Amino acid sequence: MTTPIISVTDLRKRYGEIEAVRGISFTVAEGEVFGLLGPNGAGKTTTVEILEGLRNADSGTASVAGIDVARDPTGVKRRIGVQLQASAFPEHYTTKEVVELFGIFYDRTVDALALLRQVDLADRASQRQEKLSGGQRQRLSIAVALVNEPRVIFLDEPTTGLDPQARRNLWALVQSIRDRGITVLLTTHYLDEAEVLCDRVAIIDEGRIVALAPPRTLIADLLGRGFTKPVLQQQANLEDVFLDLTGHELRED
Amino acid sequence: MRQVVRYTAMLLRAYVRDRSAVFFSLLLPLMFMLIFGALNLGAFGHVTMGIVDEARNADSRRFVDQLAGIGELTVREGALDDEKARLSRSERDMVVAIPADFRLAPPQPGASVPTLLVYANDGRAQQVAVGRAILQQLIAETSFAVTRTSPVVQLTQEQVSAVRLRYVDFLVPGILGMNVMQLAIFSVAFALVADKQRGVLRRIMATPFRPIRFLTSQVLLRLVLSVIQILILLGVALLVFKVQVVGSVLDLLVLTTLGSIAFLTVGFTLAGWAETVNQVPPVANLITLPQFFLSGVFFPTDVVPPLLKPISEHAPLTYLNDAVREVSTQGATLWDVRGDVLGLAVWSIVGFLLAVRFFKFQTS
Repeated sequence: MTTPIISVTDLRKRYGEIEAVRGISFTVAEGEVFGLLGPNGAGKTTTVEILEGLRNADSGTASVAGIDVARDPTGVKRRIGVQLQASAFPEHYTTKEVVELFGIFYDRTVDALALLRQVDLADRASQRQEKLSGGQRQRLSIAVALVNEPRVIFLDEPTTGLDPQARRNLWALVQSIRDRGITVLLTTHYLDEAEVLCDRVAIIDEGRIVALAPPRTLIADLLGRGFTKPVLQQQANLEDVFLDLTGHELRED
Repeated sequence: MRQVVRYTAMLLRAYVRDRSAVFFSLLLPLMFMLIFGALNLGAFGHVTMGIVDEARNADSRRFVDQLAGIGELTVREGALDDEKARLSRSERDMVVAIPADFRLAPPQPGASVPTLLVYANDGRAQQVAVGRAILQQLIAETSFAVTRTSPVVQLTQEQVSAVRLRYVDFLVPGILGMNVMQLAIFSVAFALVADKQRGVLRRIMATPFRPIRFLTSQVLLRLVLSVIQILILLGVALLVFKVQVVGSVLDLLVLTTLGSIAFLTVGFTLAGWAETVNQVPPVANLITLPQFFLSGVFFPTDVVPPLLKPISEHAPLTYLNDAVREVSTQGATLWDVRGDVLGLAVWSIVGFLLAVRFFKFQTS
């Protein structure tokens, strides 16, 4: 077996009285799309921020791309791409300038237009970043996450707050990133998203992993334990109706 | 280094696009300078003298004309009641009543000479003293002329500095110092707290960009802005008010840069402490406003009450203003103002230690 690109062993983190992460262990293979699922406050973001070198764990070890995060956070940062929850880009820059700005932070020259083209934002290159719609901003943050040609990218709730069209557009983008051989670790609390995108998911609750397997295996296990839905599953749901009526076209002003 | 220069250039680009930043760092200081310069606030040594001429003869006219010809005096004439009312409203520094028997003639033995009655504005003691001295001088000169004698002692005045200090010459260095302080404290505190609050700093810290380079660029940007701001303000002062800068402009820039560093440490400390942008103005104003009045921006520090003197003397803006003013109006060198430079250096070190203690890249 090849060495995993992300490896986490018995990670723990406490904020005062609250124990946010209580002994999490998992590995992610290169090229995988790995999902961390869980309700708000389950410890997803804390786990991801430790892996990104933004927070120190209280105990346990984590390594990304062969580097111990605690020992060399800068080395990890150099090799990963990130999209943070609740963060923003500096103001008064155009979309293209934001990409170039992050090129400076990684100390490399970047072809900003080519990156924007990859996320379908080339036509917004000279528009101010502040004026982008929610979906466009998420795509810009993915372009920025790709600035340093990372081996792994971390997406923290990339589709929260987006409309159905923009969500589906972002799913396609994540799949195209995976197709280029980049490992993706994403957190979400949308289960349909995890089902579509992830090769494997870890379900986290109260700081612990309660299940870890491919989505289909988890579903099969559940059904195997004799689970049935109280109501017969319809062949379509309201989201399908919505998309049928409003189309898959991206809505952006 | 290349990274720092490239990032500083990007910061500068965003800064010039930020209209409110440009307004506060450039237009507002210009307005301040133009308004206070035009107001001619303070006008030291300048005396507004009300004259009540009850003699109304050729001699009294000649005397009043001579007073009116003196540069330090603004002479206004009116009736006694009217002039006294103006005095009580501080529109006059003093009122001089010329008696009905006023004449310029050699005194007759035994007869009394005409007496000028002076009403003084107690609140303007300095101006009254100047006005009295001018009157005494004119009376003496007139007496010698009338009695055809010459003075037994002569007084000549040595010009202390090459230029005569006008209010605006005094004001401009103060305005420069004040703006160095404002730019350093407010621009850092507002911009960095806003970026911290919005998670911009966290996003940057998720890249391998080193914090020290980030901070160096932020400091460099403000130093560059400060030099640009000083040059523009100085340029307008030279053009509009014909302010004379006796000392070297380079020395002025060295001093204002040193001042910027001292106040930047305050800005970073504040940016580290504040969690939200709303917390910035009260504390920033608490630090800056008293210095407007205690550090000799609009008027000299002599007027500061004794109780506040210790604060006034050691405030960072006082050191900066004193040094800039000495260089600008007296032609002092950096060595001459080494005491002020030392004061600024001490403040910079204290501020730096505080900034290191308080500055954080993310809200807790």
